[in-house]
Amino acid sequence: MNEVDLDDLREELLQCRRCGICREAVYDLKGFEGICPIWRNTSGFEPSFMRGKIQIAIALLDGVLERTSENAEALYQCTLCGNCTQICGAEFHPAHVIETVRGILEEIPNEARDRLAASISTNDNPYQEEASVKREWVKEMEFDIPTEGDTLYFTGCTASLRMQETAKNTARILHAVGEDFFVMENEPCCGSVLLRTGKQEVARTNAERAAKAIKESGAKKIIVSCAGCMKTLKKDFAELFDLDLPEIVHIVQYAAQLIEEQKIPLKNIETKKVTYHDPCHIGRELGIYDEPRKVIDGIPGLELVEMNPNRSAAICCGAGGGLRSYDPDLSKRIAADRVKVAEGTGAEIIITACPFCETNLNSGADLINSSVRTVDIVDLLAGSIKAQE
Amino acid sequence: MKKEIIERISAIVGEEYISTRKDVLLTYASSASMAKEPVMPGAVVRPANATEISEILKIANEYKIDTTVRSGGTSLQGEVIPKPDGLVVELMRLKDIKLFKDLRSVRVGAGVTYGELDKFLSEHGLWVPITPESALACTIAGNTAVNGAGPGSSLFGCTGDLILGVEVVLPNSEIIQTGSETNPNAPGPFLRYAFGPDLTGLFIGSLGSLGVITSVSLKVFKRMEYFDYNTYGFDTPEQAERFLIEIRQWDVNAVFASIYEGPVLELFMEMLGDEYGIPPMEWPHRTVSMTIGRVRKDMLESDAKKAQELCKECGGWVLGVKELPRGEWNERLWTFVRASYVHGWHWRTLYHHQTPVNIHRSVEEITKVMDKYGFLGHTAGFFTDHASANMYPHLYFDPTDQEDEQKIVDAHDELAVTLYKTGAVPFKLAPFWKDKMEGTEKYMEFLKKIKDTIDPNGIMNRGVLGGI
Ligand SMILES: Cc1cc2nc3c(=O)[nH]c(=O)nc-3n(C[C@H](O)[C@H](O)[C@H](O)COP(=O)(O)OP(=O)(O)OC[C@H]3O[C@@H](n4cnc5c(N)ncnc54)[C@H](O)[C@@H]3O)c2cc1C
Ligand code: SF4
Ligand code: SF4
Repeated sequence: MNEVDLDDLREELLQCRRCGICREAVYDLKGFEGICPIWRNTSGFEPSFMRGKIQIAIALLDGVLERTSENAEALYQCTLCGNCTQICGAEFHPAHVIETVRGILEEIPNEARDRLAASISTNDNPYQEEASVKREWVKEMEFDIPTEGDTLYFTGCTASLRMQETAKNTARILHAVGEDFFVMENEPCCGSVLLRTGKQEVARTNAERAAKAIKESGAKKIIVSCAGCMKTLKKDFAELFDLDLPEIVHIVQYAAQLIEEQKIPLKNIETKKVTYHDPCHIGRELGIYDEPRKVIDGIPGLELVEMNPNRSAAICCGAGGGLRSYDPDLSKRIAADRVKVAEGTGAEIIITACPFCETNLNSGADLINSSVRTVDIVDLLAGSIKAQE
Repeated sequence: MKKEIIERISAIVGEEYISTRKDVLLTYASSASMAKEPVMPGAVVRPANATEISEILKIANEYKIDTTVRSGGTSLQGEVIPKPDGLVVELMRLKDIKLFKDLRSVRVGAGVTYGELDKFLSEHGLWVPITPESALACTIAGNTAVNGAGPGSSLFGCTGDLILGVEVVLPNSEIIQTGSETNPNAPGPFLRYAFGPDLTGLFIGSLGSLGVITSVSLKVFKRMEYFDYNTYGFDTPEQAERFLIEIRQWDVNAVFASIYEGPVLELFMEMLGDEYGIPPMEWPHRTVSMTIGRVRKDMLESDAKKAQELCKECGGWVLGVKELPRGEWNERLWTFVRASYVHGWHWRTLYHHQTPVNIHRSVEEITKVMDKYGFLGHTAGFFTDHASANMYPHLYFDPTDQEDEQKIVDAHDELAVTLYKTGAVPFKLAPFWKDKMEGTEKYMEFLKKIKDTIDPNGIMNRGVLGGI
């Protein structure tokens, strides 16, 4: 990572004028219906939302607050969802700054962070699974997937180890449209979790290794199905580590284009009212809002009803920024909150485009006994393709 | 703070809603007020309702604990900075809203922000027409306690002018209601001046030193749908000031009319012109940016025509840049926050009211201190109320430079004296004005007597309301 200049960092933190708009702004004109999911789902003291987090960050950096895990709780109790950034009138990116501060304050004990980092270093995934297990899902496919080629499907740790249906359905879509793609023999971890939780140096080494492996694979184009991988590979590799990768697209972008060009004939699936949850990593971070909606519109049988808030003002699912590992209960409460919003639309299912969002929203639904389930957009798309076969 | 106090308060609100953690206290040591030393309180409590607050104040009185009531924490003049080891009572959990459609009024809990209320009312085709520029973070109760104003004030006056009554927990823990709702049989808030003297007014601008406002009842109006946006140029301040007065005399419904110096607009348009969609241009010596609003279209057309005539009669010309007032008005809940923060400097403000014909005097005094101390700044103002203008000088400084910061504090002190001498009045009687208001000794003595009577132990926001 490019060296962080502490004076610059401090200057950025001081851009915060403590206006407090990042707490719970309801601003109808711009679609904001509350801002911070942590504020809403905790006892709501100042450290829960960005204004407080920044004050604490400054105090920890300046030595006004002792660097203990209790004092730093506010820094980790944040999904880095960026909704505060979206409403903030000042010239800085509060969520990115907090991510940077986490990195500077790496000495502060954080068991969840260290466990994830150790697993990535040892196993190339945060789930403490053997690295070799990552490609197991390929064996269950009805067609062969090579280990080399021009188009790389970068599966990501979560889809390959925890949400294999996402990996399989993405592969089925690519196969159905005749895309010659491959999955690496030893796919590296993108290191998103390392960056978010403040292991910047490990993240850099990891990123360099990953970029090298991708380069050596000969890939000319990368397709991802995970919002976290997408943001990390596309944005962080370039901006934080000066690493070049081939063109990267998310499967929703890829599919939206094919639908527009009428290159995927899709058939009716069971009629359903659905809503779409914008993952922070491809939404606020990369501005991918229209493509998933185009895909949903393109699948006959689906009726899209929007949640309020949505798009750039959407409230996070609660899984981001390492929160699901750091404070699982809070993370699930946030998810439940979002599921309630979905329930309010009358939707039967929530569609998303990120395996983290899917997992967490389903955990949230379980918490409140909601019948609204969350599925990945590729599951429905693959289903619609299958219906026409 | 003593453990037994914490335990007793904890028993009232539940453990979850009281904190003595150092990281938490640190975040309540400051507010949006800049160049103001943080002060660490001893505990922060987030009660859910008036009854809990009343119980908390009983304990605060028993132990004589310095108590600071806090809502959005957006105040800019040090009003909500606690006392060392004091108790902060944060009110953002009081979220009730009740509409009285036939009474054209609404009652809101102390934690309701303008953004929340605006959304709620817009679903009924209604609005509270004044919104401070911190509307997305500050509360109606907080703005009542500071006697605020904002877009909409040019027609509807200050926040206080919309208020029909308040529910207050007095420092002695008693809960009272003012206005028509004092009668438990009343159908809701419909009249402020009921039951003798205006006790509602006592709490407007009281800066948390006379009690805790737990709900505010205020007037609502049919939402206007027809607007005319325009800018008017003038060669002299006097012409622009005269124009504002004529606008009021002729009942032109200017909901928001601001007066800007040319160089100030130039500076802001350099930064924000693109966002507003305003091409670079040379701004006149004075510009009035004005939004006229009406519920009925025919009335709007007549007002817009009259405004143009009056502008010419006052020696000005119609500039026709509509994007400025349109942006200011349509995005009034947020746009000024952007304008205040886009440039990176920190600033201190000294809110005051001037008479319209004296607006240029505020500009002159601010220019003088800027020249003397050598810093950047500006002031602009908007027409408020019957014949008054709300001025909001910004004095800029670099927060990483302590000398620069001290310079602003000194200049600010001096400005309070000189502005007051021009005839300006503080409407937020923040501590910045303490000992700066010659000739108000008897008034302040009387205010102090009221404070001492209501708050004999002096627990509520000591020293904040003009220093008492
Ligand atoms: C960007 C920005 C723009 C602003 N623009 C405007 C503007 O246009 N007009 C304007 O008037 N102000 C403006 N302000 C100042 C500030 O927003 C107002 O003073 C605001 O109304 C304060 O409300 P709050 O809820 O944040 O109160 P706080 O800051 O929490 O408290 C302010 C004061 O009121 C007292 N108080 C708060 N709640 C209560 C209560 N329920 N009962 C009794 N006392 C209470 C506190 O003790 C304190 O003295 C602006 C501030 C910012 C940051
Ligand atoms: S982070 Fe931005 S929105 Fe939040 S308090 Fe600071 S300046 Fe205001
Ligand atoms: S990034 Fe998201 S979770 Fe973190 S403070 Fe901002 S709004 Fe809250």
